[in-house]
Amino acid sequence: MEKENMLKELARSVVDMDEETSAELSKSYVEAGFDAYDGISSGLSVGMDEAGRLYEEEEYYIPELLLCSDAMYAGLDVLKPHLRRDDSSETYKAVVGVVEGDTHDIGKNLFKVMLETVGFEVYDLGRDVPPKEFVDKAIEVGAHLVGMSTLMTTTMPNMPIVIDLLKAEGIRDKTIVMVGGGPISRSFAQKIGADGYEPEASAGARLARELVTTKLETMSHAAV
Amino acid sequence: MPQFKDLMTPLERAKAMSTGQPVDRLQCNPNLSNGIARISGCRISEFNHDPRALADAVIATHRRFGGDGAKVFTDLFTVAEAMGAKIKFPDDDTADLLEPAIDDVSRIDELEPIDPEKACRIPVHLKAMEMVVDEISSEVPCTALVVGPFTTAFFLIGVEKMTRLMVRDPQSVDRLCQVSLESTLRYVDAAASRGMGISIAEPLSSCTVVSPKHFRRYAAPAVGKLLNHIKDKGMGTSMHICGKTDGIWEDLADMGLNALSIDNVVPLPDCVSKVGDRMKIMGKVDPSSVMFAGTREEVRKACLSDIRDAYRSPKGFALMSGCGLPVETPIRNIDAMMDATRELGWPITEEKQEKALAIDRYDD
Repeated sequence: MEKENMLKELARSVVDMDEETSAELSKSYVEAGFDAYDGISSGLSVGMDEAGRLYEEEEYYIPELLLCSDAMYAGLDVLKPHLRRDDSSETYKAVVGVVEGDTHDIGKNLFKVMLETVGFEVYDLGRDVPPKEFVDKAIEVGAHLVGMSTLMTTTMPNMPIVIDLLKAEGIRDKTIVMVGGGPISRSFAQKIGADGYEPEASAGARLARELVTTKLETMSHAAV
Repeated sequence: MPQFKDLMTPLERAKAMSTGQPVDRLQCNPNLSNGIARISGCRISEFNHDPRALADAVIATHRRFGGDGAKVFTDLFTVAEAMGAKIKFPDDDTADLLEPAIDDVSRIDELEPIDPEKACRIPVHLKAMEMVVDEISSEVPCTALVVGPFTTAFFLIGVEKMTRLMVRDPQSVDRLCQVSLESTLRYVDAAASRGMGISIAEPLSSCTVVSPKHFRRYAAPAVGKLLNHIKDKGMGTSMHICGKTDGIWEDLADMGLNALSIDNVVPLPDCVSKVGDRMKIMGKVDPSSVMFAGTREEVRKACLSDIRDAYRSPKGFALMSGCGLPVETPIRNIDAMMDATRELGWPITEEKQEKALAIDRYDD
């Protein structure tokens, strides 16, 4: 099969929630000598994007989305070891978690999956995460992005605390902050000085990539 | 404190409404959830082992606000816990699931339906129900808020596993729903034998989580059996489902549900026009941005506008918050919600509503 067709098939296996096919196709794809990075970005990720679109259109729901991500991971596991080293420089790092006081994490999990599909290496701190842990982890891994989510109004004040801690550590300027979750609105995100907000996980991940890319470009210009 | 007074007890109002007699105002239930601890002044964790503390909180909430139902409820996990799930109990916050009862479908057979008289916190709840019935059921309809069988099934095997099984292994989902239903029925029997009415919370049936197709395939059979079981006892039921529900309104009406409580994310007028002739509709003031974070005037206006959208609903309308209120919701906002129904009184006319909407009653 030619490359274009294989990429299409890879994307299809993700949309179809077909783990086995995704892994098998990924195997034949690398065996045919095609580029692993393209397999991820133009194959598996395209499928996950399509799954995200179907979710937004209420064609797919959370179970379907989870299974699509299972299929994507199955392919990813096969393709990842074949990535060339210089491809990895394209990977951005993100720290995500549900802020302290809340344990609803479906939204955060979706955002994590979507971030991975747009090329982030994601450090997931889980649920009920104290503000300091976000910042410590961001410093430890050199995160480009910190993503916080909550479903409970009562825990929203923990978000500006994390932003203040990032400032106190002197890394706010280098880090994109995104917030999301049921009670979060664009105006709340602006009020606390977050860089980005999107109600849907897939759109959020695309925005994350855009914000990080722009920030890195700005910073490289500033350095000159 | 409230500005307006009730002229009937909630029980008198409920009886009059059901027989088409005049009432003093529209029914209203702010839906406090664990915030009831703030009204009686106990810590939320006291609910878990002290039936007196739980009953006192329910009773104090009834006396403070005069809402149209007194609900005994703590969290979504009581039945799942009694079947083996591990629960985390923060000192003064709502309990949460720590670990599901089983980690693999091979262990479904190990799950046993509960003995409500013995299992974990359920005897505490049942005892609290006895106290509540004893002390306030002559004034207010008392209900046990029962977690629906489909939602409990998720907590038996874990939310992610359950969602995957719906596509990969339908039989296992059916078995989980079956054993969960059996426990739910026993819980309902135990609560009903204490003189409680039954309300159901089925948050994971929401179309925000599962598709209407999966709701029909997995949740509906169990939920339908639960509704029939309650109906056989001569009782009606109300159900709350969080998030989007418009895809399953017809299904719920077909199953014989009597009253549906909807979340603020769905349009109230649509719900009224589509299924208002088959079920009483309840809702849907935004619990977070309006009730928790809004001013009293914002609460009042939101309530008035929901009432305007739905008061003509053929099977009736009750004003409620769109989901359980956050624990720290300002008490004055809860008063403002109740007062909005008292201000309009009865009968509700368009003229009264226009007048009410045209003025501000609070200066904060």
